[in-house]
Amino acid sequence: MEIDLAQLREMHTRLPTDLALAMVGRAALALERNHHAPGVRVSLDLERVMSSGLLSWPGADLGEIEQHDHNRITEDGAEAVALALAHRYRAWRVIRRMQREEHADWLLEDAREGGRQVVALEVSGVNRGPLVARLWEKLAQVAKSIDVDQRWAGVVGFEEPAAALHSTKRKKREN
Amino acid sequence: MKTDALNSLVSGAIWRAEQLEAHGIRSATQAWAEVSSLEEELAKALPVSESEGRIARRGAVRAALKAGDYARANVLTEGYIAEEAVPRSLKATLRKILDEDAQATETRFRYAAKHHSLREARDLARRFREAGAFGLAA
Repeated sequence: MEIDLAQLREMHTRLPTDLALAMVGRAALALERNHHAPGVRVSLDLERVMSSGLLSWPGADLGEIEQHDHNRITEDGAEAVALALAHRYRAWRVIRRMQREEHADWLLEDAREGGRQVVALEVSGVNRGPLVARLWEKLAQVAKSIDVDQRWAGVVGFEEPAAALHSTKRKKREN
Repeated sequence: MKTDALNSLVSGAIWRAEQLEAHGIRSATQAWAEVSSLEEELAKALPVSESEGRIARRGAVRAALKAGDYARANVLTEGYIAEEAVPRSLKATLRKILDEDAQATETRFRYAAKHHSLREARDLARRFREAGAFGLAA
């Protein structure tokens, strides 16, 4: 799977241009401060199916990194990667951003197979270390989201590029 | 305005408000007021029977509270609760949002809350706004 962050705005046409540019810019900084270059291999965990892909982005100027908050680089960068991955994996498109009390960052639409479903997606980024603990935390959070058909969490790691996208559905079945 | 355009605008507005809030910048309250206004427009465009319509109604009330505008949050809540076919769960959630905000305010101003209930203070503020400062003396 090839994920090109330069196409984020084309994937999600309701995403405001300035917001898309800011998120992609911060994703580039998050990746390049970890010494990665466009075209890097990214480990993917899509509903517990492991694979790998290639992640590309428009190059960043690391000289500008001090102008950005360290945590916002990780979080906003993760949102760019997760939204691009959600589109490539499931053809989802952003409807709108949600306020934090809705327990998700984004509301997306899944228009495959005729019917339309709305999807809550909670995203987080990890600059260093494993993704598992954060993924469980975010799944627990998005599980509280109401008025949606599907609840998903996406976690993106930047040390060794990795992204996980899981739904709460499977977790419930296991319980 | 089309809902797609409103959705784009509300996404940008929420993102800006979050960024300002994260940096502790005071104009975050103005940004939340803009979010509330856009959520209200979405709520007008989307029926309460649709999930996005319910999300917009909750969003309009929450953002008004984040903007520090309790009176607006209260008016919006009353309007949404009075809508035809509004689900009981949405009514309960909207009332809960206002109650939680009231509790948070009472905790924040504990000393004042000992002497005057928040309801009294807000009622006084409403009367000031409706009648002007000299209206209370009449």
